[in-house]
Amino acid sequence: MDALVAKYSRPAAEESDPFENELESHDLMNPADHLSLKFAMPPVAQPSSWLRAATDDRSNPECPIKIAHGTTTLAFRFQGGIIVATDSRATAGDWIASQTVKKVIEINSVLLGTMAGGAADCQYWLAWLGMQCRLHELRHKRRISVAAASKILANLVYSYKGMGLSMGTMCAGVTAEEGPALYYVDSDGTRLAGNLFCVGSGQTFAYGVLDAEYKYELSNEAALELGRRSILAAAHRDAYSGGYINLYHIEEKGWTRHGFSDTNPIFWKTKLEKGEFSNVTSELE
Amino acid sequence: MDHRPQAWGRPRDDVYGAYDHSFMNTNSHPNQHTQQPLVTGTSVLAVKYKDGVVIAADNLGSYGSFARFTDVKRLHTFQDTSVVGFSGDISDMQYITRHLHQKSIEESYASSSANKKSRLSAANLHTYLSKMLYRRRSKMDPLWNHMLVVGFDDDEKPFVGSADLLGTTFTAPTLATGIGSMLAQPLLRTYAGTDEEAAERTKEEAIKVIQECMKVLFYRDARSQETYSLAVVSREGVEMKTSEKLENMSWAFADRIKGYGTQTV
Amino acid sequence: MSAMFSQNPVMNGPNYSFSDAPRTNNGEFREHRFNPYSDNGGSTLAIAGADFCIMAGDTRHTSGYSINSRMAPKVFRIGGSNSDQSDATIALSVCGFAADGNALRDQLDTVCKIYRYRHGKPMSVHACAKRLSTILYNKRFFPYYTHAMLGGIDEEGKGAVYSYDPVGSYEREQCRAGGAAASLIMPFLDSNVNFKNQYVPGSGVGHELKERERHPLSRPVVETIVKDAFDGAVERHIEVGDNLQMMVITKDGIEEIMLPLKKD
Repeated sequence: MDALVAKYSRPAAEESDPFENELESHDLMNPADHLSLKFAMPPVAQPSSWLRAATDDRSNPECPIKIAHGTTTLAFRFQGGIIVATDSRATAGDWIASQTVKKVIEINSVLLGTMAGGAADCQYWLAWLGMQCRLHELRHKRRISVAAASKILANLVYSYKGMGLSMGTMCAGVTAEEGPALYYVDSDGTRLAGNLFCVGSGQTFAYGVLDAEYKYELSNEAALELGRRSILAAAHRDAYSGGYINLYHIEEKGWTRHGFSDTNPIFWKTKLEKGEFSNVTSELE
Repeated sequence: MDHRPQAWGRPRDDVYGAYDHSFMNTNSHPNQHTQQPLVTGTSVLAVKYKDGVVIAADNLGSYGSFARFTDVKRLHTFQDTSVVGFSGDISDMQYITRHLHQKSIEESYASSSANKKSRLSAANLHTYLSKMLYRRRSKMDPLWNHMLVVGFDDDEKPFVGSADLLGTTFTAPTLATGIGSMLAQPLLRTYAGTDEEAAERTKEEAIKVIQECMKVLFYRDARSQETYSLAVVSREGVEMKTSEKLENMSWAFADRIKGYGTQTV
Repeated sequence: MSAMFSQNPVMNGPNYSFSDAPRTNNGEFREHRFNPYSDNGGSTLAIAGADFCIMAGDTRHTSGYSINSRMAPKVFRIGGSNSDQSDATIALSVCGFAADGNALRDQLDTVCKIYRYRHGKPMSVHACAKRLSTILYNKRFFPYYTHAMLGGIDEEGKGAVYSYDPVGSYEREQCRAGGAAASLIMPFLDSNVNFKNQYVPGSGVGHELKERERHPLSRPVVETIVKDAFDGAVERHIEVGDNLQMMVITKDGIEEIMLPLKKD
């Protein structure tokens, strides 16, 4: 009886500590948890539906949280390795949030990832993938294959399927056993090997140019020029793409950068020197 | 994920269901149903003066438009150094005040008898309460209150702070919650717009402007009442009066009111 | 009769053989209809110079059309060794939902303080920037409604500004405007800091024109640009005004300047 009285005579305000689990000091004190997979979830019945309501700027232009989006990225295999090219524009609704986004993510000195969809999703998970690749190297004393790396990423995003991640990424690298290897991985969990991919809102425009000119036997210079020209086409026709052209070439020894160059002078050069884009006038009548 | 260029990267309806606008309908602001406030208190007002703070709130607990409880004390003293004034849900207020009571007992164990002053200043208390409110909003189970915390900060200067159900906080020389932020705050700002101005005002001036504002609120706030509580927090302690009455009211203006503005006859 | 009691009473209540819990259009249970976000307005701005960095923000705090406070700073010192942050070397600015901003500031500050305690030195901006990104991403599914910016001096002694989206994608930039008046201030910065669309007169005709060369701006010039940017924003945006808070970060620490803005 005394126990019962003791149990029910405590004031309600005392029964539940309003700060229970407030800051799990363990999380803060443990530096290894920084890239942990413990995410705060909204305490509602349908978190994904709630998240969409808060962040889907296309369905509701008034939504409070606008996540950076919009892109053209491409990568293709050819005899000299792999070309990776992207634009650099990030949009949040109609607003151009940045014209200088680095959409090629250097996972390590030999592996590249590209960024399309949610900028934070790509940045975070490709950094995480870099960590996994390094751990693989330390455990097995040899470099991870592109196939394995892309599969780690695909398995991870698949485990978050339906929760609202948005990413379309390409993992590219050249290894001794695989040769040039290119994989497309997206947030649905799709993972595809292929010769050539364009990803993002400007993908159709890039495919148009790339498919017309692409051959596996392309020389290094021709391949770089084709990557640049495909992104230029997308930057010209897709409002959500633009800014700078980010070009990379991957060989077995690792990747090399081929500039982060403004589209505007390239566009005029292409038009005036090669006579392309004749739909645009260059003189004021 | 949608792969069509016009919606690239966005969620697909067939995967996530149609976009549900009701989650983010910002027009219907705190009209939500996790719980909703039932018995509520209206505005709380607070102003700084040179040696302290004056705070007031009426003694009404409304049940919708029904003036249900007419003797609800909405100002609560904490350790004779701070006062918390609550608007919004009365049951959540009671939960918080029970918790604060417990807290003050724990605090008085810690402070030595020689130094009777509370370790928690009003500014500390304000931070504590706002974290409590933010914690509950993050659990989507908010404490449905908007409160003012008054007293002194760590530098012994008068302090007036606000915290609401979302955990939003701010301080100012004068503050009012609820409809008071529309009706009383402009009047209070003419009394003291800045901390420098507030430091020149006397206790009598502060009480006078609060009385005036309570009167204006009673004229126009349909959820208000004639009897109210008024507390003065100074370095000497808290001086709490719980059954003040509005004085010198004039309803002459009511004579001229016809309908809601457009009506002339 | 037995069917009435065989139901799970918690799910359906004792008296119905069907669930009468309200559902949405999608057939999901309708519950927790509470909007945990609000917008407290205000605007922030950060510009990096050659050996300094300025983080600025107005001090107005709003809800809808109401001004809650005229003195609610939104630029904070981060990672000092004590609570007055007098020896801090990094500044954080947040705008959007102020309560989320405060929670974010407290969390980052705690992380920096623990780092300082463990390593006996302050965190570098580079490291702090990455950490802020992961803090934001940890709330990927229940985001902080904030536009955060971080400023400091990098390992080479150059001014550094990092800007973030609500879920943690980030980029180091020369300058960035955030918050309510970002769309008013950012074009001004494109022109006055990055010299976008400016060409050297007489350097050529038509497409031959040379772009005006970019160079790091001096501190007085940057301070003037910041003040002008905010004066412009105050003129055209209702949620911006009252006071301009500027934190100038140099190798000697952080200097705070408070200037008046229009209060209407």
